[in-house]
Amino acid sequence: MSSNQTGMNAPAANQSDTIQRKKGGRGTMIAVIAVVVVILLILVVGYSAGWFKSSNSTTNNSGCTSPASTTISGAGSTLVAPLMDAWALSYSASTVNYAAVGSGAGISDITGKTVDFGASDAPLNPAQRTAIPSPGVLTIPESIGAAVPIYNLPSLSAPLKFTGQVLAAIYLEDITNWNDSALQAINPGVTLPNAAIVVVHRSDGSGTTFAFSSFLSASNATWKNTLGHATTINWPSGEVGSKGNSGVTATVKSTVDAIGYVDINYALTNAVSFGAVQNPAGNYIVANLTNIASAVKDSNPVFPTPTGDWYNFTVENAPGAQDYPIATFTYLFVYTDLGVAYSTYTMDKAQNLVNLLLWMVGDQTGQGQTFAAQNYYVPLSTAAMAFDTSEINSITFNGAKITTCVPS
Amino acid sequence: MFDRAMRRKLFSHGMTILTGATVVIVLIPLFWIIYESALLGGSVFSLGFFTQNIPAPCSAHTGVTCSTEGVGSAIQGTVYLLLLASLYSVPVGLGAAIFAVEYGGQRAFARAISMAADVLSGVPSIVAGMFIYALLIVYEPAIVFSVFSGSLALGVIMLPIVMRTSEEALRTIPHSVREAALALGISRWKTSVRIILVGALPGVLTGVLLSIARAAGEAAPLLLLDNGSLHPCLSVDTVCQSLSLTIYLGATSASSNYVAIAWGAALLLIIIILGLSIVSQLVLNRTARKWGQGS
Amino acid sequence: MTRGNPFPTFPSRKTRAVSKWGDRIFLVLTAVAAAGLIAVLVALVVVLYHGSLPTINALGLNFLYTLTWNPQGNVYGIVPFAIGTLLTSAIALLLAIPLSIGAAIFLTQHAPTWLREPVAQVIQLLAAIPSVVYGFWGLIVLVPIMRYDVDPILANVLGWTGWFSGRHIGLDVLTASVVLSIMTVPTITAISKDSILAVPRSQKEAALSLGATDWEVSRRAVIPYARSGIIAGIVLGLGRALGETMAVTLVIGNANVIPTSLFSQGQTIASLIANDFFEQETPLELPALLEAALFLLIITLAVNIVARWIQARFQAGRAVGAE
Repeated sequence: MSSNQTGMNAPAANQSDTIQRKKGGRGTMIAVIAVVVVILLILVVGYSAGWFKSSNSTTNNSGCTSPASTTISGAGSTLVAPLMDAWALSYSASTVNYAAVGSGAGISDITGKTVDFGASDAPLNPAQRTAIPSPGVLTIPESIGAAVPIYNLPSLSAPLKFTGQVLAAIYLEDITNWNDSALQAINPGVTLPNAAIVVVHRSDGSGTTFAFSSFLSASNATWKNTLGHATTINWPSGEVGSKGNSGVTATVKSTVDAIGYVDINYALTNAVSFGAVQNPAGNYIVANLTNIASAVKDSNPVFPTPTGDWYNFTVENAPGAQDYPIATFTYLFVYTDLGVAYSTYTMDKAQNLVNLLLWMVGDQTGQGQTFAAQNYYVPLSTAAMAFDTSEINSITFNGAKITTCVPS
Repeated sequence: MFDRAMRRKLFSHGMTILTGATVVIVLIPLFWIIYESALLGGSVFSLGFFTQNIPAPCSAHTGVTCSTEGVGSAIQGTVYLLLLASLYSVPVGLGAAIFAVEYGGQRAFARAISMAADVLSGVPSIVAGMFIYALLIVYEPAIVFSVFSGSLALGVIMLPIVMRTSEEALRTIPHSVREAALALGISRWKTSVRIILVGALPGVLTGVLLSIARAAGEAAPLLLLDNGSLHPCLSVDTVCQSLSLTIYLGATSASSNYVAIAWGAALLLIIIILGLSIVSQLVLNRTARKWGQGS
Repeated sequence: MTRGNPFPTFPSRKTRAVSKWGDRIFLVLTAVAAAGLIAVLVALVVVLYHGSLPTINALGLNFLYTLTWNPQGNVYGIVPFAIGTLLTSAIALLLAIPLSIGAAIFLTQHAPTWLREPVAQVIQLLAAIPSVVYGFWGLIVLVPIMRYDVDPILANVLGWTGWFSGRHIGLDVLTASVVLSIMTVPTITAISKDSILAVPRSQKEAALSLGATDWEVSRRAVIPYARSGIIAGIVLGLGRALGETMAVTLVIGNANVIPTSLFSQGQTIASLIANDFFEQETPLELPALLEAALFLLIITLAVNIVARWIQARFQAGRAVGAE
């Protein structure tokens, strides 16, 4: 501190010890290293992200040329998420990003135009339909799933039997113990544990909740009059909420005496026990791909118009003897005119989206529907595929038809 | 037999032991978490774990084995996020610190800026995420779910840390240096940049490293803004996976391979964050006395 | 520049002009950065307020005292979550304060000097572990332990208080509080330790010379002197606990109701936002969540400001009373 007082009289060559700026001092060295590290990081990230690869248009087997790959984003249903992920991983003509945030969020995302397509197991209710800005969306059924009642009762080996009434009573908390007489009555000969039922439901807006609560509404008058069917229910207190199909599966899997409802693919993929549900014909059906498919077929679905009201469209409680009663379609929502809906769209991106949609509902070798069965989903029927193809082909870009080139 | 003095002394010894026990109790969760992460996360570490992208979800059971490789896309996404967030927060934080120290000195507005940074550092990360969401949904809805918006939220979290640590580093440089430089006729900005800043660089870098360590672990804003991709990151306007969300994915998934991958990601995050913290502590300690004559 | 001239020469006119512009630009740039920092803080409040206007207009003050949250019925009340936040934070502090202060006392009064800093640094590592890792570990490791080992003991021993009633599944307010307390410990420990170290030796020596035991020195001479610093640390820890999201949302059970026991599933404001953000099914839901975020922001900012004010007063007091 005292050296600067000598600065006036001492010759300029005296190195004051407060100013020690040597060339290449430690500070400079650290700065240089930091900059080099940052540049290396950017290069590594860029290389692995494919910045240095040229993205050309690809000519695929059918001889047509699809445009350069773009990123297509979708969000919504967790029920269909594993199938979406399988599709995203194998579809190479574009990069598909799917956020499994729940059907409710999928609907609000497509309404807010923050995604290119929304996915939901619940169709749009009238309020949601009016909320969709112009030019409106198409409802595209793209796969079929089913809600199954999963439970964690290690002492049981055979699937437990449930009816809609009993399930509604459990979720209404009228039945609180596993060895309740109502449950025992439909499961004669089974030793039910004397334990409080831990009821697990979806905490997020869920199409699976929609499907499950629709079934409960149809089976139980109290449910119909109090809680109704929707993507979000005003559940009684004392139940556990989990996010997404995976959250409910995880909670039930790790909590003894728990019950939940998830899509069948989650139950099978994660080896979680699920019960049989009584159908209108009176039989207790353990869901599998066959009886879900027959349920869809037997309910003889007549699709509404693509831009019409799908709210009352259902394939639940099919009449057949072996039909599973809680089957559900899952839907994609896409705007009818991509140029009008999104200001950032180009014809290339519109083509990419339409190609993707056609691929998803197609069943040529390697196309979307061929992935269904191995991921525990029921593929679309030929009639459904035809319906979908025609409505996807009606999507326009600023009024102009979109040339398609669907990869296989 | 036990007179009062003896009782007091015994009581004091007892409290010494008790307080010593609290140190042990406090450290138990730390070592427990690190142990579990090392055990369960380390078992999935492999070259493929760091390079492969997230596999399909599956639970190992009879006849089915599941892949636990890897978090390649998550690492890439996290790096992307941190680079972008640093791009905003470091210049602004450093600039604000320089302004407060060089032009503010001890005056009121310099203290106001420091206080603003302190207040900003108390903002919960989920609120920062909601803030960016509310901001972008009005002005730029197309980009609201993307690595770009996630990095904006992380930038908000990093900003006060960078600013405060830079400010403290700058304040350790004695005034005599500034006065001497000015007396020699060096302009103010050159003084600030080429002398003061270079001298304070280790402290500044420490702050940057610490803020990066903090931001690397953040998941809440990303849950809102940058959630759902399993692919490698391709551009700033798409959603990218990140290490912290990989852990969340494992926590909310029933698939055993996702849980295993989440442990691996947790271990990796802990290693990165501890590494950054230790490095920055070493840098800071070694240079703490450099301008030791006081501020 | 010059040889042998003892007086420094001024730079030439040209360099002076250039450096004048350089100075100006530099001043503007750094001032913009500083303004940017303040602007971010202001924007936080303004943007969140603007986003929550629909619910502010529709519900007014009802939001602050409605006891239920039911989007389907357009009923939005922050009370269940305010209670959840306060309850988890209070219990977290209850657990963390004795542990942190005890650790601080041991490190400053009893541990050898060479051990103090390294152990303190290790305790700070608790703060370095990300919140989501705490939540993940809490969910997978702690929840089963709580459910099968700890909760039954608590129900037996403390069940008479009424706080430990109902079935316990491990995903509840209590587990969330335990995880939060672990996360709050490093903050309180660090600030308590620094506050205790700032107590002048004269205090301690005076007490010792009067014949006090070590514990009495701590309790009667040192801690009271460091009290406001310790309180500042506690309030700061509270501020952090109020805003914790990931650790809480994974273990609290996510039920949007007022918890009736420590074994109830609950929800804090932060975990509500994280959990329900993707709902947005009814038009008022997103603005309601934004209003909740604004509420949380104001509360945490207020708590933080109080903490810093206490700290500043403690520093000022210490400067006055320093030897």
